[in-house]
Amino acid sequence: MDLTPRTSSDNAPLAPRTKAKKKWRYVAMLVVVVSAGGFIVSQFLTSAIDFYCNVDEIGSRVGCEEDRRLRVQGNVVEGSISESANKTTFSLVFNNKTIDVIYDGDPGGIFQECIPVVAHGRLQGDTFEANRIEVRHSNEYEAANADRISESEVAPCSQQVG
Amino acid sequence: MTTTELPAIKGVGTQATRLYGVLALIALGWVLVGGLFFTPEDVVQGDAVRIMYVHVPTAWTAYLAFIVTGVASACWLLGKKHSMGFDRVAGASAEVGVAFMALTLISGSLWGRITWGTFWVWDPRLTTTAFLFVTYLGYLAVRGLGGSPHQRARRSSVVALLAVLEIPLVHFSVVLWRSLHQEASVLSPDGDIKMDGIMLFTLLFGVFGFSVLFAWLVSHRQRIMAMHDAQRASALEVAMADRLQEASS
Repeated sequence: MDLTPRTSSDNAPLAPRTKAKKKWRYVAMLVVVVSAGGFIVSQFLTSAIDFYCNVDEIGSRVGCEEDRRLRVQGNVVEGSISESANKTTFSLVFNNKTIDVIYDGDPGGIFQECIPVVAHGRLQGDTFEANRIEVRHSNEYEAANADRISESEVAPCSQQVG
Repeated sequence: MTTTELPAIKGVGTQATRLYGVLALIALGWVLVGGLFFTPEDVVQGDAVRIMYVHVPTAWTAYLAFIVTGVASACWLLGKKHSMGFDRVAGASAEVGVAFMALTLISGSLWGRITWGTFWVWDPRLTTTAFLFVTYLGYLAVRGLGGSPHQRARRSSVVALLAVLEIPLVHFSVVLWRSLHQEASVLSPDGDIKMDGIMLFTLLFGVFGFSVLFAWLVSHRQRIMAMHDAQRASALEVAMADRLQEASS
């Protein structure tokens, strides 16, 4: 009696070739996943594990040397933002150390005074020339209303040191 | 002529799944309406904060899904009977978890573009989350590699038990390393929830709604898997019965 699997019948079990094809599809998926995992781990080790230097650490912490490309975190100093000729300049403060930043363009996001940002770029003299700005926001969520604006006026943000 | 039939596929709904479905609809209905119309703008982020009502619940539900996968896998490995029900729950939960994790990454990316000014950065939270997502895609690939259901269950259980260890790393990545991503709001390190009342209510309702949706999806999916397993198991018997009938006619 012939008991080889039939492929034409609706009720027949999957033919060996179809099963093998399906298996190889998953093997290919696994190869892609392992490659992606390797790439992510390399990004973690080179970028994520030490994402930024604080303003006060420039030149004093390993990995935050003045002559290399840096990612610098600090709070935008109140009243320091000015825009001219498509350039944005502002100051960053952290632990009472301040640095002037110049950025070519509009930082975007929710960039504003008193907010912590991470600026990517290089130190040129006393000025940090940034070509990328990322805005951090806190884990605090408050409803926008008139009362809270007056509260913020009572406590100026320039007192924040991060 | 074929006379032997495979077991007919019946519906996979039960009273419990219908209850889950209704609860999920009500909760997610509130998240949609409340999140868009009743909750206020954030003082810093403006309307962008509304993405939080989807982003945070989907992240938590993905964690829940992967924990369920881990627990079900442990139950399969440690149980004397090696009940395949545990394996199916583990697989179904991982599939739903991967879908929720994808939603988390997409919604987070959109939120990041509006607030941070960029869709993606290789910071600790985003990098570990991407790794978690890829790990569970790998888990699903391992499940599909073939072999008997017991072989599938054994190897995928081991992967699930290793993969679940990544969850604390992802959650605490914002505390362990310097991250662009903010710290947790509800489970904040200092235990103080700094969130407006109706925002928090809508967020927690979202967590509840997505959790019930997860229960609804997993209940259905694992029942479908059970039917496929039963169909595969009976397919050979059906084929042999057919041939025997052909030979005797």
